[in-house]
Amino acid sequence: MKKLLALVLSLAMLLTASSFALAEELPTITIMFHGSNVTDDSAVLEAVNAYIADKVGAKLEVVWGTWGDFDDKATNALLSGDTGIDMVFTCSWSADEYNTYAKNGYFVKLDDLIAEYGADLVAAIPESLMQAATIEGAEGMGIYAVNGFKDTATQNTWDVNVTLLNELGYSLDDFKAMSFYDFGELFAKAKELKGDAFYPFLVEPMVLERMVTGSIIVAGDSGSTNLLSLYLNQDDVSAEGPEGNVILNKFATEEYRKFVDKMHEYYEAGYVDPSLAVAETSNDTRTNTQKTGEYLIGTQSYAFGYEYSADVLDRGIEVAFVPCTDPYVDTTASQGAMVAISTASEHPVESFKFLNLLNSDPVLMTLLNYGVEGVHYTLNADGLVEFTDERASYQPWTNGMGNVTLLPDTAAEGAGFRESFKEYYASAKAIPALGYVFDNAEVANEMAALGTVAAQYALALDAGALDPETTLPDFLAALDAAGMQTYLDAANAQLTAYLG
Amino acid sequence: MSKSRQTPATLNSFGPGAQALFHIVLGLFALLCIVPFIFVIIISFTSEDSIRQIGYSFMPLSWSTQAYKYVFQLGDALWRSYFNSFLITTVGTVLSVAICILYAYPLYRKDFKYRNFFNFLSFFTMIFGGGLVPTFVVCKTLLGLSDNYAALIVPLLFSPFNVIVMRTFFQTTVPRELIEASTIDGAGEYRTLIQIVLPVVKPGIATIALLNALAFWNEWFLSLLYITKNMDVIPLQYLLMRMQRNADFLAKNSAMLGADAAAAARNLPSQSLKMALVVFIVVPIACAYPFFQRYVVAGLTVGSVKG
Amino acid sequence: MHYKPRRRWSWKDFWLVTMALPGAIWLLLIRYLPMLGVVISFKDYKAQKPNTFWNNLIKSKWVGFKNFEFLKSPSTATMIRNTLLYNAVWIVLVLVLAVTLAVMMSELKNRFAAKAYQTMMFFPYFLSWVVASYFVLAFLDPTSGMIPSIQKSLSLKPTQFYMTTTWWPLILTISNLWKNVGYSSVLYLAAITGIDTTLYEAAAVDGATKWQQVWHVTLPGIRPMIVILLIMSVGKIFNADFGLFYNVPQNSGPLYPVTQVIDTYVYNTYANTHNLGMSAAAGLLQSVVGCVCIVITNGIVRKIDADSSLF
Repeated sequence: MKKLLALVLSLAMLLTASSFALAEELPTITIMFHGSNVTDDSAVLEAVNAYIADKVGAKLEVVWGTWGDFDDKATNALLSGDTGIDMVFTCSWSADEYNTYAKNGYFVKLDDLIAEYGADLVAAIPESLMQAATIEGAEGMGIYAVNGFKDTATQNTWDVNVTLLNELGYSLDDFKAMSFYDFGELFAKAKELKGDAFYPFLVEPMVLERMVTGSIIVAGDSGSTNLLSLYLNQDDVSAEGPEGNVILNKFATEEYRKFVDKMHEYYEAGYVDPSLAVAETSNDTRTNTQKTGEYLIGTQSYAFGYEYSADVLDRGIEVAFVPCTDPYVDTTASQGAMVAISTASEHPVESFKFLNLLNSDPVLMTLLNYGVEGVHYTLNADGLVEFTDERASYQPWTNGMGNVTLLPDTAAEGAGFRESFKEYYASAKAIPALGYVFDNAEVANEMAALGTVAAQYALALDAGALDPETTLPDFLAALDAAGMQTYLDAANAQLTAYLG
Repeated sequence: MSKSRQTPATLNSFGPGAQALFHIVLGLFALLCIVPFIFVIIISFTSEDSIRQIGYSFMPLSWSTQAYKYVFQLGDALWRSYFNSFLITTVGTVLSVAICILYAYPLYRKDFKYRNFFNFLSFFTMIFGGGLVPTFVVCKTLLGLSDNYAALIVPLLFSPFNVIVMRTFFQTTVPRELIEASTIDGAGEYRTLIQIVLPVVKPGIATIALLNALAFWNEWFLSLLYITKNMDVIPLQYLLMRMQRNADFLAKNSAMLGADAAAAARNLPSQSLKMALVVFIVVPIACAYPFFQRYVVAGLTVGSVKG
Repeated sequence: MHYKPRRRWSWKDFWLVTMALPGAIWLLLIRYLPMLGVVISFKDYKAQKPNTFWNNLIKSKWVGFKNFEFLKSPSTATMIRNTLLYNAVWIVLVLVLAVTLAVMMSELKNRFAAKAYQTMMFFPYFLSWVVASYFVLAFLDPTSGMIPSIQKSLSLKPTQFYMTTTWWPLILTISNLWKNVGYSSVLYLAAITGIDTTLYEAAAVDGATKWQQVWHVTLPGIRPMIVILLIMSVGKIFNADFGLFYNVPQNSGPLYPVTQVIDTYVYNTYANTHNLGMSAAAGLLQSVVGCVCIVITNGIVRKIDADSSLF
């Protein structure tokens, strides 16, 4: 008994001692990032903490979520009210989806904090990004996350193997004059030249569908595999679409039927790799084939400067990205990467101060992104960033972090890259329904049911693997049975109200 | 104890015809079972070019040891996680086998007053669970299972399934008279269990130990849940699964990530590397298997040890 | 059921309780405490003020059976049918095959061969479904798979395996047997090992042939193990092996009519909607159905052979 008492006493002393020690130190704030590839952050965090101690009044700790584990870790932390996570990456497409989690009370409403501590932030990022983050959340209309300034517009492009195109006797201008429906002759010639095991059309089927029919993703609909669709005005993206500002069931449109008929023809002719039609093999096949340059035409959702990136330069072919429309700003793209403060956080003020600094201060942003100068990178004679071998142990996902326009230009991108980047996206026009987010709470069950139906048919149809003649009617009937009309009506009623 | 046990089995066994049939059936099935593993080894030695051109194949166009070179380049991360896998499996198996035997034995004792209560306590959890998030909250906030080895061991320490299997082993191998005799002798309950019951039930213990060892060795989900900052404790299985999950995520979200997805895909391991890691994972546990098996098969030849 | 007189407490019970204690404490903390979370199935779980889990749990709105409405989906009938049918068939097949193989192994004269077979049979258990799915892909891949390649070389139209449902019940069944039979047969083999050899001697003295010995000694000897494993798999009849149904068919949409099971449906839906209430409700439903099945099966077993029953 005495021993036990002694043990309890010494434990109690230990605890008080450690809490005293803590009291003298700065509070620790923890941020959880997405998509990182970081194995050693000690040097960076040491420098960051020295830099932010006075400015923020806290010590930073980072949870480096990877692509594969972020969703589980972030949702677990949020749903369980984990006080150990103060800030977390969020956006319109991750598991901790911005609109839903803000509405359900997991994110701190930032408006007051912005008014008090956020002057730098407001000055540093465009007004439109603030607007895109303004939604109806748990505490009413407001901003629930700091929106990152990155590629804020959507632009889908044809990814053209110019080397092969020229070999077939066509120029890039010839290609630009063609549409999706004219590709057949190119494919036939390519197949003739390269043999039967060559698949000229290397697509991401869902993206291809958007490129050909001009459909736009409706934010808040990802649960149904995006079967709702707005339509883009291909001539002027800021004008209303051919059907007006109305949301349609994209699979029931004539454009869709025309698209899948053609695609099925291409598929049957052997122009499309059948692996692209299967959910779990589709993207592996595409990225692996892309690397080898063994294709003629592909699809690419494009970001400015992509043609200078290493994965394009390494393909061993000349690549051109041919846009099929101007870049357009939609809700999905403008909520593409944000950081929110958890309502379970015990240090929301320090957290916000940190986010404010991260998004407005080049020193901090560069440090956290590119690492420590002299360790992870060096500056060359032109003042451009050149990465060292140490960079391999520290590669966060730049776009997921915040204001990327604060970063210095790298040697690979060339001088002036960030300026052109900003200009390019500043010129992008917004679609009329920008900011509209479909609130699916009332039709959640329909959404779940529709999602299953769409998953059964959509990818295989888009890739051309199914015969539309027989399967499309089945698909549409199954959608109707799952409550398509109710779902559509709810979305349209909200859109009408939104556009006022 | 074992001197004459071999005779009855050999004297009276199936004839050569039946024996041959058994060998054919068992041999074919056994072959079917290891072919996929051989396939994994082949892929791990296949060159990337060959995978790109003809996919996975038993006869690749060209061979390469690139994947293994890459595995060894993982260096510290690899050996560290390898060490962790061994540590977690060893400690976890010893503890969980002990807990399992201690829990199953009273359930086997028909004269135990609270037998039904404890039986139900364990059995009920096989069917009902609180779900992922509540369990996560209890383990992390209440029990402090976060970023430490305990987080990778404690949640797996007890398995109602194994308790029932163990109880069944007690029932089928330990005659009740044995217990009664020893209780009359006045032996303590623990002594009865350790000195008299356990030697008899060795095949059962070996089986349970094997099941537990496998569960610990193959575990990766606990790391995903409970390890956020301290990557020094993650096991090899999680290292592999993380690569797999990164690839899956990029595949699902490529349209949303655009150019970033393609850039990130560059960091992903090749197929042959993944297979090389599978080889690294499977070989140690497969080597440990005969160790467990010795007790099971030894029991077979010797015949059960009756007092 | 026979009546048992109430027994007085004794020191023996105390010692036996101390044995069960570590397990019991574990169960209470890690299994029973989180069960409070079951109420999420009936709530619209949201973050409250202050945002802590237990507070959210208590203060979230009750919504009755709204979270169970995912069952109204038209795919419900298909996924329930698939789950039940595959499980029912596989329980029987795995049982028969595993027992047969275990008996064969126990009767082999060549001990070395017995060991070798047994080790090999355990291998599928080491490979995850993800890895196994690559193996299946190597046979079925539309461009480079072995079967389509053979078809092409014979100038036949290659089968689009990932687009046609025809072969999948068979492929899934083979995959499942491949994975589980070896594992179960090891359990049965260990049980056979435990059978008292004097029983065989006695049977031999009575002039029983080896076949008769298997029938009258071996099988009754492992009956408790058979019954227990059977009851437990019946309890899981509403739960499907997620990896098998998700990874092996590569989550291919057109195969859903024969590959969609409750677990994959809930996973796909949860991945899309992140509705905690719905996934809790689905889990609860699986538990309740499993419970009912177990009680029924156990009741039947008890009627036939009270000793082998689970409780």
